[in-house]
Amino acid sequence: MKQGFLSILPLAAGAALYGFAFGVLAAQIGFPWWGVALMSGVVHAGSSQIVAVEQFGSHGFVLGAVLAGAALNLRYLGIIASLSEVLRDVPLRVKLLAIHITGDENWALTMARRAHDPTIGAAFLIGSGLTMISVWVISTSAGALIGGAIPDLEGYGLGFAFTAAFIAMARAMWRGRRTVLPWAVTFVVTLGLVQAGMGAAYAIVLGSLVGVFTAQMRRARREETA
Amino acid sequence: MSSAEWLLIGLLAVASYGVRLAGLIGGRAIAANPRLKPFLDDLPGCLMVGLVASSLAGEPIVTWLAALVALAVAITSNNVVVTMAAGLAAIIVGHQLPFF
Repeated sequence: MKQGFLSILPLAAGAALYGFAFGVLAAQIGFPWWGVALMSGVVHAGSSQIVAVEQFGSHGFVLGAVLAGAALNLRYLGIIASLSEVLRDVPLRVKLLAIHITGDENWALTMARRAHDPTIGAAFLIGSGLTMISVWVISTSAGALIGGAIPDLEGYGLGFAFTAAFIAMARAMWRGRRTVLPWAVTFVVTLGLVQAGMGAAYAIVLGSLVGVFTAQMRRARREETA
Repeated sequence: MSSAEWLLIGLLAVASYGVRLAGLIGGRAIAANPRLKPFLDDLPGCLMVGLVASSLAGEPIVTWLAALVALAVAITSNNVVVTMAAGLAAIIVGHQLPFF
């Protein structure tokens, strides 16, 4: 467990910077530092939190914000499913804790190490996960403490920091040329729906579904012609 | 905190843990399902692009140009914090320019 605790530190440093920035933004929207700490502790999903807080801040609508944030979290179905071997021999209560403290970074590190060293397992996952969730809670609440103490930054275009974060997160999800069509369709449809007056969170989910189905249809057509 | 903020945190926590729990219980079957797998692979990227589109909708040209700067930095650096810093710098500089 100690090995996992220490090995994740470089990745945790990156998450801390991102968490700090998220904390500043959340405080500017009106969340107290302890509310941010609570959210980071019980939700523990970086991109999902940033999306939900941004949607809530700009539209003030809870269900739409949760829908957008939760949809983004669906990738954890696959992430947690891939851990079934790692978690096979641990008791249920440890499993229930391990799935909560598993994030992108410590999952990826555990799987990468395990590929070379089969002794890497649940203890490593949990050690690195404990580091990640602690760093996430501390960095986001520290950001919120600072963000609550400084004047309104919205006038300086602070909201755009969210847009830039989304652009960077999309970049990390780029999967080569097959991504072009679904992303282009999603962009145009979402933009059109928002311009037409639809609530942003619904427009995002609907636009994304149209993009995903475009990709599915193209794949199906290719299989037919092949 | 307002009741809406409490509700947001509570619902998001339930949704987040619910997805993880579903992954633990039925994840293998869901992740290996040939109909669902491509859907789950494509959805996160599309959602991110949708978020970018919705935050640019109705914005002035300076915001779109700053987004292009952020995109260029994201492509080269592939780093969230560096992209946020560059995007913020671009929009602040953009607002100072006389023609925007």
